[in-house]
Amino acid sequence: MAPRWVWRLLSAPGLLFLAVFFLVAFYAVVAVGLGNVTTQFQPVPHWNPLDWNVGYLREALSNLAPGGQMWPVVVRTVLYIAVAMALTLLIGYPVAYYAARCAGRWSGLILALLVLPFWISYIMRLLAWTNLLASDGYASEALNALGVDRLFNTLGLMEGDDWLGGQPVTVIIALVYGYVPFFILPLYASLNRLDQRLIETSRDLGASAAETFRRVILPLSRPGIYAGMVLIALPMFGDYFTQDLMSGSPNTNMVGNIINGYVQGGPDKSLGAAMTMLLSAFLLIFMAFYLRSLRREQREAE
Amino acid sequence: MSEGKGDIRLEGLTKRFGDVTAVDGIDLHVPSGEFFTMLGPSGCGKTTTLRLIAGFERPDAGAILLDGADMSRIPPHKRNVNTVFQSYALFPHKSVEDNIAFGLRYKKLPREDARRRVQEAMDLVRLGGLGARKPAQLSGGQQQRVALARALVLEPPVLLLDEPLGALDARLRVDLQVELKRIQEQLEITFIYVTHDQDEALTMSDRVAVMRDGRIEQCAAPRELYEEPATAFVANFLGAANLIPVQAHADGDDTALTLGSFTLRSAGSGHADGAAMAMIRPEYVRLEPHGTTGENRVPGMVEEVVYLGFHQDVRVRLATGTLLRADVPNDGDAVEYEQGDAVAVHLRAKNLRVLTEDASVPSSAATGHFAAVSAAEPA
Amino acid sequence: MKLRRDPWGHPRGLALVTWIYIIWSLAPVIMAIRFAFNEGRSRTTTQGWSLRWFWQDPTLSVFHDPSLHSALEQSLTLAFFAMLIATPLGIGLALGLQRWRGRGSGIANGLTLLPLVTPELVFAVGLFMLFTTAFKFIGLGTTAQVIGHVTFSVSFVVVIVRGRLQTIGSDMEEAAADLGAPPWEVVRRVLIPLLIPAIGASLLIVFALSIDDFVVSQYLASGADTTTVPMRIYAQARAAPTPALNALATIMLAVTLLALLLAYLVFRFSTRGQKGGSAIGQLAGLDARIDAGGTK
Repeated sequence: MAPRWVWRLLSAPGLLFLAVFFLVAFYAVVAVGLGNVTTQFQPVPHWNPLDWNVGYLREALSNLAPGGQMWPVVVRTVLYIAVAMALTLLIGYPVAYYAARCAGRWSGLILALLVLPFWISYIMRLLAWTNLLASDGYASEALNALGVDRLFNTLGLMEGDDWLGGQPVTVIIALVYGYVPFFILPLYASLNRLDQRLIETSRDLGASAAETFRRVILPLSRPGIYAGMVLIALPMFGDYFTQDLMSGSPNTNMVGNIINGYVQGGPDKSLGAAMTMLLSAFLLIFMAFYLRSLRREQREAE
Repeated sequence: MSEGKGDIRLEGLTKRFGDVTAVDGIDLHVPSGEFFTMLGPSGCGKTTTLRLIAGFERPDAGAILLDGADMSRIPPHKRNVNTVFQSYALFPHKSVEDNIAFGLRYKKLPREDARRRVQEAMDLVRLGGLGARKPAQLSGGQQQRVALARALVLEPPVLLLDEPLGALDARLRVDLQVELKRIQEQLEITFIYVTHDQDEALTMSDRVAVMRDGRIEQCAAPRELYEEPATAFVANFLGAANLIPVQAHADGDDTALTLGSFTLRSAGSGHADGAAMAMIRPEYVRLEPHGTTGENRVPGMVEEVVYLGFHQDVRVRLATGTLLRADVPNDGDAVEYEQGDAVAVHLRAKNLRVLTEDASVPSSAATGHFAAVSAAEPA
Repeated sequence: MKLRRDPWGHPRGLALVTWIYIIWSLAPVIMAIRFAFNEGRSRTTTQGWSLRWFWQDPTLSVFHDPSLHSALEQSLTLAFFAMLIATPLGIGLALGLQRWRGRGSGIANGLTLLPLVTPELVFAVGLFMLFTTAFKFIGLGTTAQVIGHVTFSVSFVVVIVRGRLQTIGSDMEEAAADLGAPPWEVVRRVLIPLLIPAIGASLLIVFALSIDDFVVSQYLASGADTTTVPMRIYAQARAAPTPALNALATIMLAVTLLALLLAYLVFRFSTRGQKGGSAIGQLAGLDARIDAGGTK
């Protein structure tokens, strides 16, 4: 066996790269968020923790806290994502289940079709919907002909008949459309690993199909569900482009749009950095949860 | 054919993984040309010992001497020993020939010599004509032969074999046992063989070390190991054993054993005194008609007769409460005893051994061919 | 009594849901591709067939409109360099981490896994801040974009290669060392050949991630000449005057699928006569994507 230093040497360039461009980069966010600005509103990062200035962080916090200016955006973001996740689960679970356990001779084809969206650019998939949901687009016309717009109007989910004109429904469904594939695949993997004999045993012991599902299949696929959920929740919280392309209206803005606006747009880059810090802290809970389950799986594999 | 002599000596060899001591200060000498087997249940440290000799693990203490020179600090690729892996570890991207020739590159041989040696090695293990195949296109037995040839082509003085037959089916295993022995005798090199299969160990080895918890429990020739096990563990691991708790006291060259109201004699085994375990193999237990008297006879009652084809397993409850197994060969006649029959059990003095060590029966004993019947089994 | 439903029958309801989902997920993209071949200028209705928006139109086609084909060039350039850098970095990291036990390994492992679950926006803001403050000497632009793409794709390479290393196991290396091969030779004659499928899959994944990326590219762009295809699509999706944008997206997709096909062929070729794994699954990096669960 090669001496230990050989292996550490091999991993050194990669680790160094990640340390600089991932860790230090994140530290740059902290330094800017806790830094100051010049008279031209150019951010001046404070690299030394002793010089940290919590002014922007406090401002960001009060903006995003209940009663703050951005509080409605926070509520909206959480609401959109919660609804999108529920719909994703509703659509994704049956599909993953069917593909993993019942597809039989079609399973190869179905899996290939489920993987295909991975290879299509996310932005292109949204572009496709901007074509179809434009006021003279096929989907738009079909939906309006079927009266879906009027139905949604009466339900208070939509205003007017322009599907791309700032409709929360469109944004939520686009989020589902965008992220469902990322939910289905980990779930597929966990359902695929499920031992058929367990299901047969359950049936043999007298459980009906429905009870088998509730008492055996569902509990065993729970880790897959959680993994898939976390996996789509994380990017959704940082998403701004889906909202931009599907609505673009401030009425459907999400947290990602606010941060994007500050960092890329105006003079408040430091405020944007502070908000990025807050978002990261919030998401760290999800990440820790996911990394822990990933590590556990890795250990089991070893 | 080999370059060195192939004399292996382990001195106080120790390897720990975290809190677990896998190899616990082993001292061992394997002389040149011996077929030496390390036998034991999984986790006993036999494979770790082999890996230490091969150089895949770094010992925490102790020395590994090959022909008198310590090689415990030498990396595996510079050690003059070769290994046959349990998984064979054939390189899937190389043909059979290239697999066998793999190590010759580092011997700096002329091309012609290398080719000749690959051919010889293939002939030795009877692999002619398969040189161009990929490992995945071979059967398990053939893959095993490639692994063997790949190691032997380097003409090591010592060959290490880690359960090389473990992945093969029973019939093939027997064929290859014979063949391995033939090759070892033909090449006159040292084989250090690791297995958990007692048949393999007894069939091929010159000497066998039974290992347990990182130590060598007993090291002896197969016959001695089976006939005169030193401990209950060895007795149980090799074959089946009846263990009977007794009180022992020396009686000249023999040992007198008190079992309830009976006194038994054990011929020339140790000098035990006090609480001990008497051991007798089921095939040495003789069943005689009820009322037969004489030395070492204890009355009992047949509890169960299990027909096993070539023999019958008769379970007898002794008058003292101990359950014994008697192995009665099937000679073609009908069963002599039935459930409920009273019999006299003859435990011959020369077959009755006294074991002094703690007689708790390890669960691993069940890996033997017959499940051991513990003397303490409740009625 | 009515005949009961066949308990061994196919779950038709589930099949229906699945196929509807598949159509829903792919039909819009197929329509977008269809519009790219329109003869007319509409991006919302079909208007005949032509290659006008790919190259026939003298000013507005992808081929003739500099803003469109420069985006294509930029995307391919970034993907090329990202592949070139991220793959070796990731392979080294995977080989190292696989063996690295004890002190420091936990941190090193965490550092390689963390990027997989970090939202792109956080990545992008971080790199943007880094390149506009401490690393001003690099600044925004192509170099920064390449670095950004490498940063988020290295971890995928690590996951793929480690997965493969785990399948290979340590026996192969030990056998090679046992037969006299020094460490470097073990890597060269045994590990690398056995890793070829994983290396192929890694190259492909990095390529796809880079081509697909929008957020990091946008944050680290420095002007029109660093605009990538997703950025171009984002900027014009709602207001594009012609299907040339669809044509551009179609070309990108074709390039990705072509790379997928190429990698598949290489994979099939390089693992001839070897057992193990579904070729498509391994190649598509599907295993790794499932394992790592990255959503980039």
